Amino acid sequence: MAPAPSLPIHPPNGPVNGDASKQPPQGRSSQKSMTKAERRELQEKQRAAKAAAKAGGPVNGAPSKQAAKPTPQATAAATPKRPTKSNEAPAPTASALRTQTAARARAASVSVPTPANARGLRIFSHFGLPKPVSVAKGDIHPTILRLALQFSEFKITGANARCIATLSAFKTVIQDYATPPNNTLSRHLMTYLSPQISHLVAARPMSVTMGNAIRQLKLEISGSDIDLPEQDAKDALCQKIDNYIRDRIIIADQVIEETAGNKIKDGDVILTYARSSVVQKVLLGAHAEGRQFSVIVVDSRPMLEGKRLLSVLASAGIQCTYILLPALGAIITEVTLVLVGAHSIHSNGAVYSRAGTALVAMMAKLHSVPVVVCCETYKYSETVQLDSFTKNELAPQGDLFSSFPSVKARDSLTLENDEHLEILNPLYDLTPPNCITAVVTEVGVIPPNSIGSIPVALGRLL
Amino acid sequence: MSPPLAAILSLSQLMVESNAGTMFELVKELHDGAEELKRHTTNPISLNAGCELFIAFVTLFPHESDSFAELKTELVKQGQKYAKEAISYRNKIAELMLDFIKDDSVILTHSYSRVVMRALLHAHKTKRISVYVTEARPRGLGVKTHEVLTAVGIPCTVVLDSAVAYVMDKVDFVLVGSEAVVESGGLINAVGSNQMAIIAKAAHKPFYALAESYKFHRLFPLSQYDLPTHNPSILSFPSLPPRPFVTPPTTSGVSPPIAKSGIDESLNVTPTSSSERSMSAEMTAKNPDVDYTRPDLISLVFSDVGILTPEAISQYLVAMFAG
Repeated sequence: MAPAPSLPIHPPNGPVNGDASKQPPQGRSSQKSMTKAERRELQEKQRAAKAAAKAGGPVNGAPSKQAAKPTPQATAAATPKRPTKSNEAPAPTASALRTQTAARARAASVSVPTPANARGLRIFSHFGLPKPVSVAKGDIHPTILRLALQFSEFKITGANARCIATLSAFKTVIQDYATPPNNTLSRHLMTYLSPQISHLVAARPMSVTMGNAIRQLKLEISGSDIDLPEQDAKDALCQKIDNYIRDRIIIADQVIEETAGNKIKDGDVILTYARSSVVQKVLLGAHAEGRQFSVIVVDSRPMLEGKRLLSVLASAGIQCTYILLPALGAIITEVTLVLVGAHSIHSNGAVYSRAGTALVAMMAKLHSVPVVVCCETYKYSETVQLDSFTKNELAPQGDLFSSFPSVKARDSLTLENDEHLEILNPLYDLTPPNCITAVVTEVGVIPPNSIGSIPVALGRLL
Repeated sequence: MSPPLAAILSLSQLMVESNAGTMFELVKELHDGAEELKRHTTNPISLNAGCELFIAFVTLFPHESDSFAELKTELVKQGQKYAKEAISYRNKIAELMLDFIKDDSVILTHSYSRVVMRALLHAHKTKRISVYVTEARPRGLGVKTHEVLTAVGIPCTVVLDSAVAYVMDKVDFVLVGSEAVVESGGLINAVGSNQMAIIAKAAHKPFYALAESYKFHRLFPLSQYDLPTHNPSILSFPSLPPRPFVTPPTTSGVSPPIAKSGIDESLNVTPTSSSERSMSAEMTAKNPDVDYTRPDLISLVFSDVGILTPEAISQYLVAMFAG
């Protein structure tokens, strides 16, 4: 099957088959030398050729996105290759173009994409399909390049970790920055940082934490004193970044650790899902204080982050049980408290967290087990979120997540897109506020429906 | 006088007699005083609320005066003024409640609550109401409510705690007082309130709670067993003597006599009339005094600061205590 002609899924390591960008016509060396009109003309020509090739097949609306081009079947086209960051597709000749058109025709006749299939992809096509990390436009600092690569390969995961990594990278960037003549730091630094930020976003959609932190950073930059000598201004900004990390993340976590720890009583059976850095701190802290409790870690594919949490807790001496999500129903009656982390919380009280958290919360609610979300205030987003699919992110395909040696050959365990199968792995889901008992933040324990009081509480402190 | 107000007054008195030289020392003395008060009562929740409110007030009071002694006298004056004003809170609440009571209302209430009494007596002046009140075992305070209401001419009937579901369909709304209103927007009140709230929800009847603002507490119980009043002995099972092994009887209906008498002895059943039995003191001790009603079961909370939804309670508490 060809994926719906207008909506292919590109794993972040590049499309499975071959070409990354538009195919330049014969005689031209690169896309950049064409003017916009000529590019439009080329696109029309290719579209017409495709329509002719797909004689009789269902025609889906052509996409407006320039980059989303149908990939020809593996049988006919080049073998799958991992593209490097630069424009690597050698300019195919006219003959290659013809063979590809023929291949498409073959593909069309082999298996007509069913409307249901095409519709399914259309629903999730707005998720911000992982794009290949292309060469950056403009001058990107090497720290940012490295960070983007780490993000796209999921080496750094978790809202807190990503935010801290981003801010630390920006500290380096700011220190290396030199104000051009006839410019002020407070005005030019922002324009300098913008392409860096875009590059990070292209690697992986920005988390709410990164967004809030960057917004605060921009505020600090615009407020920096014009009269300060450059090095002093840069040092002041780095200091502000350090303060932000310290106040909103590190110290906030300590307060949450204490507050949530007080809710843990001897004999409790605590259930947690996947791996939250805050919940890890809470559990380790409570254990260090001498409370006797046991932990059930619920995990799920593809990321299997719970394994890391499990090893940390077990080595600290906490009694742990490890189950996968489908087994939740069997053990929920044993649980006395559910502790989960969050990617972000929204003003209607909904919690946006790792996919599967909503299931855990709903199951707990049904069995009258209190659900406590541990979340710093900087994860608060003013937006209202009502469901999991208006905004989400897809996990990349391939075997990025397994960190433990496995007995079977890796390939047999990893699912790949093929003729009749499209893999869909949303990374986040939304837990509705009525399933949550309490949200523990550093300004206090708040019921989910009153999350709107966080800015009020913060306003008093800041 | 309710416990939180008494606490505020006694803490003000403590301030008068204290010889603390700095704010820090003073607050520390107040904390120690509050701890002492809490030690002497079995149900410290509402007392806690009053103490925390007063200490927060003292800490947040703007320090305009030059000398510490002046500040202290100012604080004491404020404390006593607050206690005096607080007496009028019940009237404010009764006035707010009046609009929600229609003529010929049938009201269900629980146990005995001074603020509910004030509201009902106030309504009785201008409207016709009739009241069901639960017995509220084991203390039986519902009977006291019945006496007070009947004395002023309000038709009142005492219902069994177990008959709440039976009577719910006849009722227009449920009105209860409170020991404390907590951060989650939930209610802590005499045991039986939660039951009543659940039944009211199932029967689609409004459930109103009356609470003075000094009963708002920053506590956040996650469940019934997360209350500070809960201890392991509540609802615990007795440790029975091991049953002696008896061969099962060949004919049905013959129960081993030895085990039965063993159970009887350990339970200390006080023999009363053959048709009614009551719990022993030991049995009663295993039961809770207060329970926690979740915010989603409560329709509105009437307070001197206004008529609040349970969600608004948290916002009020945050505004009061944060920063």
